[in-house]
Amino acid sequence: MSGAEHALRRISAVRGVRGAMLVSAPDGLVVSESSMEDVDGRAIAALAASLAGRLRRAAGGAGLGRPTVIQLRGETGTLLAVPAGEELLVVAVGDRETNLGLARLELLEAARGIA
Amino acid sequence: MRVLEGWVSGPLSRFLDESAARLVLLMTSSGQVVAQHGFTRSVDVMSAAALGAGIMASTGELAHLMGSPRFGALVHQGTEQGLLLSGFDTPRGRWIGLVAFGPESSVGIVQLFFQQFTDEIAAATPPEEQRGPVLAENFEHELNASLRALFGR
Amino acid sequence: MSLVNFTAREITCKIVYYGPGRSGKTTNLQYVFGRVPETRRGRMVSLATHGDRTLFFDFLPIELGSISGFTTRFQLYTVPGQSYYNATRKLVLQGADGVVFVADSQARRFDDNIESLQNLQENLLEQGVDVRQMPIVFQYNKQDLPRDLVLARADLDEALNFRGVESFAADALHGSGVFETLKGISELVLRKLAVGGPAA
Repeated sequence: MSGAEHALRRISAVRGVRGAMLVSAPDGLVVSESSMEDVDGRAIAALAASLAGRLRRAAGGAGLGRPTVIQLRGETGTLLAVPAGEELLVVAVGDRETNLGLARLELLEAARGIA
Repeated sequence: MRVLEGWVSGPLSRFLDESAARLVLLMTSSGQVVAQHGFTRSVDVMSAAALGAGIMASTGELAHLMGSPRFGALVHQGTEQGLLLSGFDTPRGRWIGLVAFGPESSVGIVQLFFQQFTDEIAAATPPEEQRGPVLAENFEHELNASLRALFGR
Repeated sequence: MSLVNFTAREITCKIVYYGPGRSGKTTNLQYVFGRVPETRRGRMVSLATHGDRTLFFDFLPIELGSISGFTTRFQLYTVPGQSYYNATRKLVLQGADGVVFVADSQARRFDDNIESLQNLQENLLEQGVDVRQMPIVFQYNKQDLPRDLVLARADLDEALNFRGVESFAADALHGSGVFETLKGISELVLRKLAVGGPAA
């Protein structure tokens, strides 16, 4: 198993996380994914990469530097994204029960390992 | 945006809004233009359609020769912009979409919304209307005058 | 069949120049390209090999102007003539509204013309098109060559033009017959869209 796959498995193992993936940031394409159940991985990859790109510009414009963690809370769950270098994005989708603190830690850890 | 038939406008507008594509060209598999957005010269549109249909036809043949199903889509990622060329079935036969996009979009976004667009098109395609003659019976004199003017005669 | 846009009142027709290798199909398009003002034509797209033989196709879009209130455009294509490019020829022939068969008038190319014409019929049939239903005109090119090298128009008509459609003697390199050929096929193709014409 590659380092990326191992890292994605660790994220998916966090309580409430429905799946995790590594996304090519400029293309919005899935590079690797882990147990994305009932989730359209292709759509998440494209939209999360697009969102991250826009937020990066917004953060830059606001003088915040580059985003380090993106957390999007919806009515039924949360999307987390952490940039891994210039080209990649680690993304996780979880339900309302997700242990968000642990999930963030695992995403940051994964991004450090991959970048 | 220019469309051959009005019902294409809705799905195409939504696709343009969502994908942030720069150019879109929708054509039949023989290279006839069905709709376009972003081109300025009609003759350039026709050239792009001829080339796009040619590429799809030749890669289809290539897949056939290699004993594989035809390719769903071709993507070319350039430094300034990318191109997506993708065929899809409609009740009017197989159509082809050519989409050019810049860094404000991505191949993932374009592919995602293109899929939605083609689903909408396939669902919305009305039966082809039988139309009567469009040219006057004695159209030849107008045709000849046009051709003579074109050739400087 | 020709594409008609009733909203924008536009007609677009696809015309394919067919014939054996080196019969002058590309030369026809080059002449048209050279004569038609830039505002009324697109770039000539030529997918050719290093030796200037057509590899895939040549393509030239031209705008004829308004006919019966419809802006009328022609897409002119050539096919590669060499026999081994048949797959490509079939692709270009897809959806053609009319065919110009460019024959090489040289006596030594007689068999090549016959073979190419048979190939056209086969390829059309494969696409479910009866050659007798397809608007077609013949152009007998290279009629400028010495008389002892070329066949006369009547002889070529007898060998190739079994439907008795319009045929034109031409010297495409210098332009003779190119305009007449295009006019001939245009009339046939547009006749299908006209009042009193055969059903499109």
